[in-house]
Amino acid sequence: MNCNVFREMLDPYIEDSLEEERRRWFRGHLRECSSCRDWALDRDPSLLFAVADAAPADPAPAEACAAAVSAQIRQQRLSKRLHHRRRPWLAAAAAAVVAVSGGLAWRTILGDGGSPGRPEIEAQNESDTATSPPTIEVEMAGDDVRVYQFAADGDDDTAVYFVVNPAMEL
Amino acid sequence: MNDRDWARSAREGDEEAFAQLVRRHSGGLHRAVARVLADDSEAWDVVQMAFLKAWQRLDRYDPRYSFSTWIYRIGTNLAIDLLRSRSSRERTHKAGTEHRLRLVGAGEGAGSRAEGHEADRILNQVIEVLTPQQRSAFVLREMQGLETAEVAEVLGCSATTVRNHIFQARKALRREMRRRFPEYAPASERG
Repeated sequence: MNCNVFREMLDPYIEDSLEEERRRWFRGHLRECSSCRDWALDRDPSLLFAVADAAPADPAPAEACAAAVSAQIRQQRLSKRLHHRRRPWLAAAAAAVVAVSGGLAWRTILGDGGSPGRPEIEAQNESDTATSPPTIEVEMAGDDVRVYQFAADGDDDTAVYFVVNPAMEL
Repeated sequence: MNDRDWARSAREGDEEAFAQLVRRHSGGLHRAVARVLADDSEAWDVVQMAFLKAWQRLDRYDPRYSFSTWIYRIGTNLAIDLLRSRSSRERTHKAGTEHRLRLVGAGEGAGSRAEGHEADRILNQVIEVLTPQQRSAFVLREMQGLETAEVAEVLGCSATTVRNHIFQARKALRREMRRRFPEYAPASERG
């Protein structure tokens, strides 16, 4: 009886004109009844794909995926925070560099009696600081977040390195 | 809590709520994307990318609609983009040995389970004949069990277009299966 009904429903199924409930019944019967399955596959082999597994039973990959996505979200949040705070921090750092270099230049001028070339060097330092800000790189390593600040062009000896606790509010 | 509750909490910044949504939907999304791409491991990259994109756009999620449909839409669009960006050489999936064992006498349940695995193996070998849109529509409707209206929502087209994609896909798959797997030729032709 069921097999006859199933066979009558083949064409409407293929045309996608069955109601959802009847469609589910058709797919269930296709899965369960081997003689109807062979009969249907003989008419349209693409029906084989209707008996494919719908969803995986193993939760492990889903858990691993959730952990990976969470880690990426945290990294993005941290990068965003650093980005937001970068400008004032860089401005303060740049100001400090200018002040130190200015002080050094001033001491040099006072020390050697005021060479006319020295103020030009001071001006050049200010210009370099303004146009070539240090670059910052963020790196995730286990539970740590490593933040590198590299000095401006031409200063290969200077590199500042921080290890940041991710739980810390930046 | 249901998906909408988790999504609402996630939108307020609750990472654990979002992780619940990932746990709940990543398996099904992966299965769909893997079938569309015919590549299991690449599909996990797409799934992660889809959830990350969803997190960034949670403010655009409309809770009147199912979260499942929304994440399928993001994941399927990423998969379609990936298919389009692949070169034709890369697109040609490494076809394995082309043979099929007719499953007889293994019992009803055992037979259907085995055919379930067989379906994925064969799909990987013949899906290359479909366009990205046909692949997505066919996989979502025929293999993932989404309703036509949901597939239309996922693909951003009408139900009529979905039916047309599926009709064309079925026709192409039928032809390709019969060409590559003689066991699937009509009994009258097998002799």
